[in-house]
Amino acid sequence: MLRAAPLALAASLAATAAFADENSDLNLIPEAAQPSAPAPPPAAAASVNGRVYLEDTGTLNSVRDNLPVAAPPPSTADWQERLFLDAREQWSLGQGVSLAYSGRMNFQATDRIDLPTHENVRHDFREGFLTWTPTSGWFFDFGRINLKSGVAAGYNPTDFFKTHAVVEPISLDPAVLREDRLGTAMARASYVGAGVSATAAFAPEFERESPLFTTTNLPSFDPMFNRTNAHPRMLLKGSADLGADIAPELLVYREGADTEYGANLTHGVGQKTVIYGEWAGGNGTSLIDQALGYGRATGTIPGSAPSVLPESHAKTFRNEAAIGASYATEYNITFNLEYHFDGEGFSHQDWRNWFTLGQRRANIPGVAPQLWYIRGYALDVQQPLARQSAFLRFDWVDAFVPKLELTGFVDIDLFDGSQLTQLTADYYLTNYWTVGMIASTNLGSRRSEYGSLPQAESLLFKIARYF
Amino acid sequence: MKPAFLALFAALAVAAAAHAESPQDIVAKADEVRNPGKPFRTTDTLTEYVSGKPRAEDTLIVFSKVDPATRQFRNLVHYVAPPRDEGKMVLLDGHVLWFYDPSSKASVRISPQQRLIGQAAIGDVLTVNLAIDYTAALVGTEAIEDAARQKRTCWHLDMKAANDQATYSRVEAWIEQGTYYPIKLKVYSDSGRLLKILYYRSFEDRLGGTRPGEAVIIDAVDSSLVTTVRFGDSQFQDIPEAWFQRDYLPRVPVE
Repeated sequence: MLRAAPLALAASLAATAAFADENSDLNLIPEAAQPSAPAPPPAAAASVNGRVYLEDTGTLNSVRDNLPVAAPPPSTADWQERLFLDAREQWSLGQGVSLAYSGRMNFQATDRIDLPTHENVRHDFREGFLTWTPTSGWFFDFGRINLKSGVAAGYNPTDFFKTHAVVEPISLDPAVLREDRLGTAMARASYVGAGVSATAAFAPEFERESPLFTTTNLPSFDPMFNRTNAHPRMLLKGSADLGADIAPELLVYREGADTEYGANLTHGVGQKTVIYGEWAGGNGTSLIDQALGYGRATGTIPGSAPSVLPESHAKTFRNEAAIGASYATEYNITFNLEYHFDGEGFSHQDWRNWFTLGQRRANIPGVAPQLWYIRGYALDVQQPLARQSAFLRFDWVDAFVPKLELTGFVDIDLFDGSQLTQLTADYYLTNYWTVGMIASTNLGSRRSEYGSLPQAESLLFKIARYF
Repeated sequence: MKPAFLALFAALAVAAAAHAESPQDIVAKADEVRNPGKPFRTTDTLTEYVSGKPRAEDTLIVFSKVDPATRQFRNLVHYVAPPRDEGKMVLLDGHVLWFYDPSSKASVRISPQQRLIGQAAIGDVLTVNLAIDYTAALVGTEAIEDAARQKRTCWHLDMKAANDQATYSRVEAWIEQGTYYPIKLKVYSDSGRLLKILYYRSFEDRLGGTRPGEAVIIDAVDSSLVTTVRFGDSQFQDIPEAWFQRDYLPRVPVE
């Protein structure tokens, strides 16, 4: 009994010390974070779905000399200054009808365009559409709509409306490319119910195809429907939750006389990993055939001009795919690793032809422009040139210090190992101000996809004010 | 003599209650204090403090509804502020999470781990029934101070993740005896690292019961980071099943 008393006392003291330690956590709560009075209901905002911001960017480019295939004009600007007002807003009009607008007003100057000219001012009309919701779950949209599909981060074969839609992007990050792109004028009907969804969209043809735009000939206040509505296009897609985290999305897309099919699937693996896959396929020609055909149809390439690269007009079933996984660490970093396959892209032989003919026939007028036109076309329709590529992206929130976000990616051509790399740093100074920079490089040998590009590196600084 | 008798009676009553209830029951009753059973929405204001100074403020509207099949909440989170994030949405339906950005019109599947990214993490505002996702064990009875430095006699519970939908690998909880008020939580990563310390405070009448009006979250990895969450503008709201669909994210009518 006498021995038990000290033990009980010791245990009691130890427990008291433990609780005292537990209470010491309270010392970490700053004075400023002491309880506040119950917050009044937030003032009714005009909108909780919009975003308006003003951003200024300055870009410096370093350009390669002695390219294996000389690039035609316009050459890459040494510097560019760009100020833009970006707005996305949605208004309810009552009776289940709402109106949405999304666009960007640009003011820019570079060492490649005169000041002042109409090129200094441009409005990108991304979206403007009416939505009617007659009953819960049903939606009818009319107007210019950015219809996006796909689950991969680096390349979306099922994102059929991406072609010709991107206008002078600030960043090459595929996640950003999706932001500043033009929608397509269409009528869209959607149903979303418990566990199922379906969408039908029809985009009419009412413009002729435009030649590929360059940085020096973009129109100022033209909605550029000739980029998005030069062919009749139709999309049907639907998904169903089959349970066990399986909810595939199936797509059928028709443009002109060509039909493509697609599928998207994601699946979670444990706490940190998501695997995903995306596929599209249909009868079609190669990227080279498509590019040269487009060039002839729009008058950029004379109809009588012979093809520099071998063409085959035969349509065969071609596949495009992106498969990958995301992995999130405990340290606020998320990685995406993907394999991309583009059955319409350049084969090994196509690349050899591109470099060999470009060098041997460099003195023949029209050869180099035609070779570069193919590459410009691929960029414009947002399709990889490489038949096989690998993509690695990371996003690090609160990197090193709070409010610093680092994002980077590398896109690797698996044929020649050349790489496009980009690192973005955004520092959120306050809720309203963000400063950042973007550094990108094209790495590889002279006779490689990225090593042969005129632009070696670029450095962009930006400051944005959100309203 | 009379107060002493009452105190003894209260202590016996609490002890009897403790014997009658399993640790899992205690956690379930604390869940009922935090969240009602009916669908509801709250407007959460998250204030981030760095080294004692307010650094940023986020406002999120959270729609929550119990899935009758799992008895766990499904959540829709709509970003109101900061302005750069306005209109973004996160959907949590069981193990499945989607992030939607209206600027890119893209829905991106994210992993449960991504709930925890950032000082003001989405995981801190999601409505969750801990009793569904964790298996609790009683450590003992302890008297600790709450966020207002008032002594509270609590059950100290140690909870381990019972399924792969649990936000954290392990949670320690201090739940006040008698009221079932959640007073304090400590949450741990898979590797056993203490991630956050969370205090509930400012209990008030909200959503048909007395519930915490605020939470204080201390970053245990970098203790200079503290976040407060104010659960404001709470109201019951019918939430259609279709809202918890990826394809509904661009359509959710938030006003």
